[in-house]
Amino acid sequence: MKISLNWVNEFVDITDYFAKPRELADALVAAGLEVEQIDNPGEGFHHVVVGHIVELGRHPNADKLTLCQVDTGEKMRRQIVCGAKNHKQGDKVVVAIPGAVLPGDFAIKISKIRDVESQGMLCSESELAFKEKSEGILILPADAPIGEPFAKYWGLDDVVFEISITPNRADCLSHLGLAREIACVLNRPLRSASESKRAAAKSAHDAAAKARKNAVAVNVRDSNLCQRYCGRSVFGVKVGPSPAWMKRRLESLGVNSVNNVVDVTNYVMLERGQPLHAFDLACLRGEKTGSPQIIVTRAQSGEKFKTFDGTELTLTGEELTIRDADRAVALAGVIGGPNSGVSETTQDVFLEAAYFSPKGVRRTSRAHALETDSSYRFARGVDIEATLEAMNRACDLFHDLAGGTPSSDFVDVYPNPARRPSIVVRYENLSQRLGYSVDKADLGKILERLQCTVKEKGQNEITVEPPSFRVDLEIEMDIVEEYGRLNGYDKIPETFPVLCERPTDHAKSYRSEFVVREQLVREGFFEARNYAFLNPRWQSEFVDVARFGKMGLALDGEPVNVRNPLSEETSVMRMSLIPGLIHNLLHNEHRGVSHGRLFEIGRVFVKSADAKAADVESLAGFREPHRLAMLAWGYERGLWQKSDHPAVFDLKAAIESLIGHLNGRVEIQKWQGEANPPAFLHPGQTATVFYEGRTIGFLGSLHPMLRELHKIRSDAAIAELDVTALMRGQPRVAKIKSISKFPSVERDFSLVVRDSVTAGELVKEAEKAVGPLLQAVEVFDVFRGAGVPEGCQSVSIRLVLQDLNATLTEETLKTTTQTVLQRLGQKFDAKVRT
Amino acid sequence: MEKSEIVQSAKSIEKQAITEFSNAPSSRDLYDLKVKYLGKQGALSMLMRELGKLGAGDRPAVGQMFNEVKNRLEDAYARRETELKTQEVNAAIEREKLDLTLPGPKIASGAAHPISLVISQIVEILGRIGYSVRQGPLIESDRHNFTALNIPEDHPSRDLQDTFYIDDRHVLRTHTSPVQVRTMENEKPPLRILAPGSVFRCDSDASHSPNFHQIEGLLIDQKVSMADLRGTISYFVDEFFGPGLKKRFRPSFFPFTEPSAEVDCSCPICRGKGCRMCKQSGWIEIGGSGLVNPKVIQACGLNPDEWQGFAFGFGVERMAIIKYAVDDIRLFSENDLRFLEQFQ
Repeated sequence: MKISLNWVNEFVDITDYFAKPRELADALVAAGLEVEQIDNPGEGFHHVVVGHIVELGRHPNADKLTLCQVDTGEKMRRQIVCGAKNHKQGDKVVVAIPGAVLPGDFAIKISKIRDVESQGMLCSESELAFKEKSEGILILPADAPIGEPFAKYWGLDDVVFEISITPNRADCLSHLGLAREIACVLNRPLRSASESKRAAAKSAHDAAAKARKNAVAVNVRDSNLCQRYCGRSVFGVKVGPSPAWMKRRLESLGVNSVNNVVDVTNYVMLERGQPLHAFDLACLRGEKTGSPQIIVTRAQSGEKFKTFDGTELTLTGEELTIRDADRAVALAGVIGGPNSGVSETTQDVFLEAAYFSPKGVRRTSRAHALETDSSYRFARGVDIEATLEAMNRACDLFHDLAGGTPSSDFVDVYPNPARRPSIVVRYENLSQRLGYSVDKADLGKILERLQCTVKEKGQNEITVEPPSFRVDLEIEMDIVEEYGRLNGYDKIPETFPVLCERPTDHAKSYRSEFVVREQLVREGFFEARNYAFLNPRWQSEFVDVARFGKMGLALDGEPVNVRNPLSEETSVMRMSLIPGLIHNLLHNEHRGVSHGRLFEIGRVFVKSADAKAADVESLAGFREPHRLAMLAWGYERGLWQKSDHPAVFDLKAAIESLIGHLNGRVEIQKWQGEANPPAFLHPGQTATVFYEGRTIGFLGSLHPMLRELHKIRSDAAIAELDVTALMRGQPRVAKIKSISKFPSVERDFSLVVRDSVTAGELVKEAEKAVGPLLQAVEVFDVFRGAGVPEGCQSVSIRLVLQDLNATLTEETLKTTTQTVLQRLGQKFDAKVRT
Repeated sequence: MEKSEIVQSAKSIEKQAITEFSNAPSSRDLYDLKVKYLGKQGALSMLMRELGKLGAGDRPAVGQMFNEVKNRLEDAYARRETELKTQEVNAAIEREKLDLTLPGPKIASGAAHPISLVISQIVEILGRIGYSVRQGPLIESDRHNFTALNIPEDHPSRDLQDTFYIDDRHVLRTHTSPVQVRTMENEKPPLRILAPGSVFRCDSDASHSPNFHQIEGLLIDQKVSMADLRGTISYFVDEFFGPGLKKRFRPSFFPFTEPSAEVDCSCPICRGKGCRMCKQSGWIEIGGSGLVNPKVIQACGLNPDEWQGFAFGFGVERMAIIKYAVDDIRLFSENDLRFLEQFQ
């Protein structure tokens, strides 16, 4: 909110801060009001004054320059060289005299221009930074007072603070309110009303005494949504422009001037925080020939209402409306209608100053996406005890500025006067919560600054009633905060809470993520973090619910849509981490990052028909499984790395190493889902990951067509695993085996098998055949070509055998090898290559 | 053979051996010569067999002579061996010269995302004083995200957070605070917990991302003061940014705490002198904090006369931006390897 210090100064003396607004801002920040910006337009115009061109002549050495004698209210006239063409003798102009620093750090000095001394500069609008470009210098009206500081003359002598007001401090949404807060913070008294304000009030009061009675009958039918309704007629207003001072004040705070009547309602709102509404009395209808009526009641469901700015709304029936005998004339506290607003031809006005319930106003304003200065204030809570004062202040101004006469009486419907809470503050509690000893006398002083009334004072506690404008003060902790902030948070000492309880472990899911992350980082992978929502079209290119489900990545349910996305890109929650990583692949590859290894650990989302929550980290009706996805593309092509291998094997190695690290048993086998893997994978380069015998995900190379489509130049592979399944039974502690003292023996042989037989199957079978003597089975070569029949491959296998208790005999070696060869021969028709 | 003949032969063997030793081109050749002259089948050994044929009177003198010759040859061998080895090692050194400015083979090591890095650091620092991590759903109920935290429906406090809705009763959590509620509901106090994780706001521009991260701490005990909160935050700031920064509490408003305070510390980049990061103010806002509002304690099923607490929260991106002087929030979600690699 924008706050004029000149205006605040009318209520509390802050004259001393005009030269140092920063200090005032710091004091407010320290008390909890965030000053976001200080606008001090006059600051750049020191030594810039109104001048009068007394004589205008030619520059002796330059045809295009003029030589002016300028009266700036100083003892001596100033001789100034000027290159503009639009000035003439007798003009009032803006003069920057030496010492001035104009916008853009342009310092004015006495200088010589073509051998003639110039003792200042006549300014154009662009030099004053009012405009980007300007023709000639700025000519002021003839009545501009010579020598007056330009900032003052131009109305730039105010300082405007932009303050961010937190939603609890409704009382600070006006100049009076802020003045009260400043008085409280600086511990200064509030000023009593000025002479001119008192005079205006008296004059309006005298006029009203002789005037007609209020012309409008008010009937409040919903006193829950409208707890107080004040209204007064004002007769004989002359609608016209507002005086310059009011226009300037409103405009400097970002409010457009409309006419004197509307401006007064805005002005009083900015001054006192009470939103007002002025109806054209002539437009308010009554029953037949009766007097005009105001009825405060809810709308009819389906009723149409046109707002002042021309939007037609269909009302739900929830909204509180202000009506005359026939129709709605305003949405209470939100906006008026064109059917009853003040116009050029208005003569009599009915002024409304009410208290509408914050909830009701907010509901209406949200339902119709209409936020006005009025609804903003009502929704936060205005001072219910200040409606009359605000109404009468506006009437004074109508009288003063628009020639109107307030009615001799007014309406005030306030059936259930609001009661402020009594708050009991325990001295001991106050000290304990702040962490330092609070002095009773000190507390008394601060309560007084807050305008809290002390109702009762006991030995150990004090009962206080907060003022009506502090709607946020309700409980003891509110007073603790008030005391703490006004005394200064810097008074709070630093202590350290004692740890008495027994510490607990981190959530399991956090531990899992941590372990997986650490291991993959060791494996050379970089962690990615993508948004949890994405574009549904992109998602549907990768997520294949049926096939993912068969691979241990269950997605039983519908996708979760975001009801109010920012754009399509944030409109559906992800069901897989793969679309995000592919997106990252494109980002990196297209920027020349030709190889990389990424992983992401995160949640995916589905709607679930199950009425029970799956775990503590998801709600009933939704599932949020934890997944791990990995992506590898391209190769490091360094001095020492000459051999390439398909990227998908990097993923395989990392998955094996991860599961090995978790002390689990991993198997990576031929794709075992539906006949074909998901469409984005290369059908011939896909595999299923088993962990302790259960499917927990898959890996595979990207489909060549997908690479083609997105211009992915490198070979790329992706994997997704279910983290919960991966972490089942964790932590598994490593079981340490004894190390044999006896030598190990290696036996190598090459087997010819059909192409369809996988190395994984051979190894698995060999493991079963050997039994406990086996240390390792390794595939060290695969060959197709000369000497190997068509449709077959030669797979070279190395068995590493060792006995814990004895040196292996030739006999044992022979039988073991034979058993293996026999088994592989039977099962896969494997023949030893000779 | 005669004694004189033996002596003569030994002398000539010695002479020849010494000549050949000194002419040996390599230690390998030299070793062969050693075998040729001094080995079991070598020339000197063969000659020594003649000793037995001599008369007993001559034997001691000739034997003595053999020993001397043998010793001299072994000395000569050793000298020549040292000489040759030195030459050979020197040659090898010359030959094996390496340009160590060549790149070494890459040791594959990746990196955690800076967001994870910051979360781990914070968990580690506060873990030392008894805090442990709790997590909750990202799709949250209106009650856990709002009403239990003293943000009632139809209240302007809801405007503090631009909310993504799933349906009438569910939102994408706008902060990590619902985890506070869940922990108070499900566990017995005293509590010291941290809730790191993803949060969502319907807001996106140069400095806001619609999906970002927070971490917040909650302590519930019988007596908890603002001073305890200050002490904890002060410890945390010193450990996270390094010692020597000033810290400042500024009054503020959060519906779930009362009193509430924004936490500022002197800018870790310029140490308070004023820079771009702190907008020349010397101060950096790092998070919000306060004593848990008794209304929240009550809403979570605890008795506010019995239990008190404090809570504090930080924006993880913001902490990373300050700590690593990152200048663009988009870098955290683009996953550009050139960015991620810098956190190795």
